[in-house]
Amino acid sequence: MKMVLSQRQREELNKAIADYLGSNGYMNALEAFKKETDMPGELERKFGGLLEKKWTSVIRLQKKVMELESKLHEAEKEYIEGAPTRGKRSPAEWIPRPPEKYALTGHRAPVTRVIFHPLFSLFVSTSEDATIKVWDFETGEYERTLKGHSDAVQDVAFDATGKLLVSCSADMSIKLWDFQQSYECIRTMLGHDHNISSVAFMPAGDFVVSSSRDKTIKMWEVSTGYCVKTFTGHKDWVRVVRPSPDGQLLASCSNDQTIRIWQVYTKECRAELRAHEHVVEFVAWAPDSAANAINEAAGVDNKKGAHMGPFLASCSRDKTIRIWDVGAGVALFVLIGHDNWVRGAVFHPGGKFLVSVSDDKTLRVWDLRNKRCLKTLDAHKHFCTSVDFHKSHPYVISGSVDLTVKVWECR
Amino acid sequence: MNTCKLPAPVDDSDGDHRWMSIHKRFVSESREKDADVVFVGDSIVQALQHTEVWNELFAPLHCLNFGIHRDKIENVLWRIQNGELDNVKPKVIVLHVGTNNHANTPEEITEGILEIISTIRERHHDVYIVVPTLLPRGQHPNKLRERMAQVNELLKSKLVNLPKVELVVIDKGFVQSDGTISHHDMHDYLLLTNAGSRKAFEPVHELLLQLLSEGEPEKDLTPSE
Repeated sequence: MKMVLSQRQREELNKAIADYLGSNGYMNALEAFKKETDMPGELERKFGGLLEKKWTSVIRLQKKVMELESKLHEAEKEYIEGAPTRGKRSPAEWIPRPPEKYALTGHRAPVTRVIFHPLFSLFVSTSEDATIKVWDFETGEYERTLKGHSDAVQDVAFDATGKLLVSCSADMSIKLWDFQQSYECIRTMLGHDHNISSVAFMPAGDFVVSSSRDKTIKMWEVSTGYCVKTFTGHKDWVRVVRPSPDGQLLASCSNDQTIRIWQVYTKECRAELRAHEHVVEFVAWAPDSAANAINEAAGVDNKKGAHMGPFLASCSRDKTIRIWDVGAGVALFVLIGHDNWVRGAVFHPGGKFLVSVSDDKTLRVWDLRNKRCLKTLDAHKHFCTSVDFHKSHPYVISGSVDLTVKVWECR
Repeated sequence: MNTCKLPAPVDDSDGDHRWMSIHKRFVSESREKDADVVFVGDSIVQALQHTEVWNELFAPLHCLNFGIHRDKIENVLWRIQNGELDNVKPKVIVLHVGTNNHANTPEEITEGILEIISTIRERHHDVYIVVPTLLPRGQHPNKLRERMAQVNELLKSKLVNLPKVELVVIDKGFVQSDGTISHHDMHDYLLLTNAGSRKAFEPVHELLLQLLSEGEPEKDLTPSE
């Protein structure tokens, strides 16, 4: 597009240029410029910094316009397509919708992780305030607080029965909690030399795995509390470790920007997945139900030459989410849209969607098949740190640095 | 002797050791949080984190705030030499200090700031150092204001040739035409209000955005027709 300036605008532009030259001390250029443009004497004050102002504001306005356009687009779509009513929603399609059902307060420091209980209508949250809190997601009621750690609690997990809880902390300990009757700490496991950033039960419930800033991953026997295996290889802080659904493999991610896949039995590192350009914050294994959508997104026929998986999602500070075929050790595709570090993700139980949270304060729902962001929820007032999706009930929970935990109902 | 260049902890005349406690907390925070931007300096920096601008513009950039009320150049120098920046790998460090060095000349204050810059540079060879100019202070014109203005002039000429050091002019627009500073901008004629910090620190934010996004592919921001 050709831009035309009116006489008046041209004069203003000239004066703004003159002010820019003058205030930056380009005196020779200023003199020459004044001469060539026939500009008389002193400059009025209103031109002070005008050029810089316009220079930066154009970009800001363009950004704003794009934001507004996409919001309008979303609103139009919501209006035209509408969300199904509670009565008509289906478990394979439902996704979290604003506004939140509950915003729960009680933590005194940033919330680090939120997870659902596998059976009851409960979920737990962990925080840098060194506590674990238990909440009811159907009523929004606070249930209780588990105290015992002496520094930030980083991660928690339930075993498949929901009778045992395991937590890990910056205090370098892992704690097992009875979640049936006493809600007390029944065992403390020590062995890592630094902040422990994640913990998970093996699917059979007989072992837990943990990852630490000491660059190692350790496996612990639940019945004795002994450390039975140590996995070494990462070159920096191991952020998260998660066992595969069949319990054969571990996936871990690290500040060294890689994801590693480990053979549990041999402690061998089977693959090193590289593609992220910054710290990898989180990994999540895909359920079997996601295989079709992932294969379609990767552009292969579901019958011939389909990727066999297992599949993994990874979230990084490079603002992207990547989907991997772990069996083949290849990156399949990337989800781009978050404007800041991506901190967590969980697959939709139906397998068609992925839900992620980010330091851009949003929670996003991704349509895997089309590799695009389906819905953006302005979820929190500060960084969103964690998200979980209930396996059978229509609820999503999120935690944030704004100290709140939110419950979102799905439709 | 230029006292600005002699690193020193604050004299704990109150007897509550607060200053040392704050320093120790900063050191431990620097180990735990991965910050892309670290603010270090005096009351102006400390007060900034309690403003709307901080929550809205700076917190999303992953910032740490190591400002201590009433700190002088020599105190900040001591803190940096004693570990506050040793465990972080930021892309940008923002430094604002000097407004409390009442006993020093503008030349000494400038040299002190340069000393801090070179101390930072020894530890972080590649970091951008952003130096906002010193803000005017006091309701009416006074000696301190003049001294701040002189320091700013000196900084302009001294910093211009230093690699990866950026001076940002933030002191304009506070002194009104009658020579006074409004309490709407600085509630105690020194520290910034929400409105004042927006005026002063929006340009800093603008610059940080540019420095942090350097090397990223440029996005096409043309709005669709």
